[in-house]
Amino acid sequence: MEKTSHKVRNLGISAHIDSGKTTLTERILFYTKRIHTIHDVKGKDGVGATMDSMELEKERGITIASAATYCEWQDHEINIIDTPGHVDFTIEVERALKVLDGAILVLCSVGGVQSQSITVDQQMKRYKVPCLAFINKCDRSGANPSRVIEQLKNKLGHNAVAMQIPIGLEADFEGLVDLVSMKAVYFDGINGENIRVEDIPENLLPEAVGKREELIDVASMFSDELMEAALEDNITDELLISAVRRGTIAREITPVFIGSAYKNKGVQLILDAVTNLLPCPSEIENHALDLSNNEAEVILSNDSQKPLVAYAFKIEEGQYGQLTYVRVYQGALAKGDTIFNIRTGKKVKVGRVARMHANQMEDIGKISAGYIGALFGIDCASGDTFASKDVNLTMTSMYIPEPVISFAIIPKDSTAEINMSKALNRFSKEDPTFITYVSEETGDTIISGMGELHLDVYIERMRREYNAEVTTGTPTVSYRETITRLAEFNYTHKKQTGGAGQFGRVAGYMEPVIEEEFVFENKITGGSIPTQFIPACEKAFKKCLEKGPKMEFPVTGIKIVINDGQSHSVDSSEMAFQAAARGAFLEGYAKAKPVIHEPIMKVVVETPTEYQGAVMGSLNQRRGIILASQDEGYICVIEAQIPLAEMFGYSTVLRSLTQGKAQFTMEFYIYKQVPNSIAEELAKKAAEEKKNVA
Amino acid sequence: MLKKKLIFRNPLRLMGHKAEDILHSGGFGAVLARAGLGKTAILVQLALDSLLRSRNVLHISLDDPVKKVCLWYEEVFRNIADQYNIRQTEQLWETIVSNRLIMTFKVDSFSVPKLEERLTDLIEQNIFLPQAILIDGLPFDKDIRESLTELKKLAENRSMHVWFTVRTHRHDEPGPDDMPASLLHLADLFDIIIQLQPEGKEIHVKALKGGLEACNYPELLLDPSTMLVKG
Repeated sequence: MEKTSHKVRNLGISAHIDSGKTTLTERILFYTKRIHTIHDVKGKDGVGATMDSMELEKERGITIASAATYCEWQDHEINIIDTPGHVDFTIEVERALKVLDGAILVLCSVGGVQSQSITVDQQMKRYKVPCLAFINKCDRSGANPSRVIEQLKNKLGHNAVAMQIPIGLEADFEGLVDLVSMKAVYFDGINGENIRVEDIPENLLPEAVGKREELIDVASMFSDELMEAALEDNITDELLISAVRRGTIAREITPVFIGSAYKNKGVQLILDAVTNLLPCPSEIENHALDLSNNEAEVILSNDSQKPLVAYAFKIEEGQYGQLTYVRVYQGALAKGDTIFNIRTGKKVKVGRVARMHANQMEDIGKISAGYIGALFGIDCASGDTFASKDVNLTMTSMYIPEPVISFAIIPKDSTAEINMSKALNRFSKEDPTFITYVSEETGDTIISGMGELHLDVYIERMRREYNAEVTTGTPTVSYRETITRLAEFNYTHKKQTGGAGQFGRVAGYMEPVIEEEFVFENKITGGSIPTQFIPACEKAFKKCLEKGPKMEFPVTGIKIVINDGQSHSVDSSEMAFQAAARGAFLEGYAKAKPVIHEPIMKVVVETPTEYQGAVMGSLNQRRGIILASQDEGYICVIEAQIPLAEMFGYSTVLRSLTQGKAQFTMEFYIYKQVPNSIAEELAKKAAEEKKNVA
Repeated sequence: MLKKKLIFRNPLRLMGHKAEDILHSGGFGAVLARAGLGKTAILVQLALDSLLRSRNVLHISLDDPVKKVCLWYEEVFRNIADQYNIRQTEQLWETIVSNRLIMTFKVDSFSVPKLEERLTDLIEQNIFLPQAILIDGLPFDKDIRESLTELKKLAENRSMHVWFTVRTHRHDEPGPDDMPASLLHLADLFDIIIQLQPEGKEIHVKALKGGLEACNYPELLLDPSTMLVKG
């Protein structure tokens, strides 16, 4: 932990399901001596889901799924950060990618670049993560690494360049030719732990020379020195590696390595590549948002002497309480320090500071800038930023959008109910956009979030990680009501039923406001409504907003001004004025031309160009407005605004339209008025529901 | 209401053009300038003028990503709103944005047949029917006469007009009528050509071709702080 941060690599391993991510991770942990025996991934049946690290963790009791597993290679410290198995855009994926400095993109030498490889590649691109490619399974029948390199170039638009060529393929796969050292490398011993370096076999020499030329051509674009050395035929390994490194970090080159993790071939070389070619924390520019300056971006310096800025990227509920994984971006985090949680503003005392190994943990004194570690017993949510006193920076925006979609979820049995509540508790702590509550009307548990996919991911996780089987109700869009013009009200509430009566008159007007949800203004002069009854009026107005008179959706964007009224010395009371305000609201609201607003989502689809017409058509059919399309060679990015109500089931439609090669992200953009035809449908539906309830 | 209140400073209106759409179907217009003088800003002002008249505008950028193009629009729109002291522009912005479609291509991969294919997709599926196309970043230093002729035909068939930005170079020797070398052999395809010319600290907006007498319009300048044309 006390080594310099240039020997640290924060690494992610991303892969298509069944391309060997788990096997590769397993071998990495073995060669770095974190585990002492190699287990093979559970049988070939039902691969896919069982390859998921969470499942594997349960089966094997190792913590590959712990958010960050630490290992060492060639004097370098490598933190392997778990990149979530699901590919949907959620806060969780964003957090995992945020703490990576580099990644290995694992591809299958038979399957090549498949749809999910496209998806993970797009994620890497979005977060500007430099990566190496590892073409795995070269021992399999049909293996063809050259084809995969071509696909990397054509399908993903990478400037892919081979760093190795195979010695034999399929069943004859024996080893590799390293194009930097121009040596043949073989992997002997039961677990391939003994590396034997020999001369390149005669028959492969011409191919190796040709491929090395290609490598030098590509790399020399990033180093004038290398270009000069190439002209003088005086290239050293260091010069070549440093040029490839420069290109890799700039995401201009993707060096391609090959091997077979299952047959223990090539893994040590990819580990060498991780240390030689991927960036250390100080080579990556990290930004925080300055809360004192309207969330303006600030560049952090990877310096342990500066004030602390650390990011809690994952929390785990363990046997001994909450384990919080943090990455320190600036400053250092030591045991006994007092730090501040920027979100809550609370002071936190750092207790135990640990580093996670594959199946053990080690207490450490402090976590320096660029490092990843875990804290014990700190109450926080994932995504929180910890900082020194007087630092007002946050790693993620403090703006938390309102959820736009809700489901009712019903547990199948009582075990599921207990597990569900545990899961919901954790998820809502992990993700501030995921909200759960019990409906007062139906008694159902409701989950709300930012989109159908967002909630689907959590339902799937409930099932897989918590064994909580739940059924879901129909999704409900969070519609809203608002008014469109100024309207006056003047309402008298009068009741005389023997004994003390009720009397109150409230007059004023209501008008639409844009930036606020609700504004209440008291312009009463001369005590026409006594001061003590004003809060009662405000309370009643607020209550009215919860369920709009038009269709019982919450009312927003409204300003209510009271400017006149009347009271009675005996019959006026808080209750009477609440009733008067309610009446006044209904009177004004009916005249203020109320309308229904619906959430409009910003949808971004990334699709291979050949499908762009079909994708645009599918978006257009959903009452969407296509805003832009960006042609990026093989991929085309289409941006649109679409009502959330039209987006249900879109992932299935998109999959079938594009053979699963496109993906989309969706985030809340704005509330807009629903067209009249839709409003009529909604009204009809609401009336029917009312009837059914009755 | 706000729309009517806003009289956008379409640089061509200020130059004396009266017609709503200055260019006819199949008409070509060009904004010429050296790098960094404000070609895109002029193009965006032309676009906003059309958008406010509820015309559909397709903005094609070969240099910048969508995000940057959007920023141009937001910036110019905000400056115009500030100039006229207009608040609460959100609703107006939302309406005009729905009339705009931005497309970006890599310069090398852009071609007229490709654009035609995209346009057919848009029009046949009734997604977007552009009435004006703006093309920012087309390399005029290459031989593009054939492409432009094809494009002109396409624009005529689809009843659209097209505006281009043309990047000129300091070392270019101007031909007759101050026409830069890159446009010399293409000028016949264009109906209007405007040039941004730095003189001292000011950027002058001049019509090189456009059918109006030079004396009929006041001297126009581009305000470098707002990137808006001023009289």
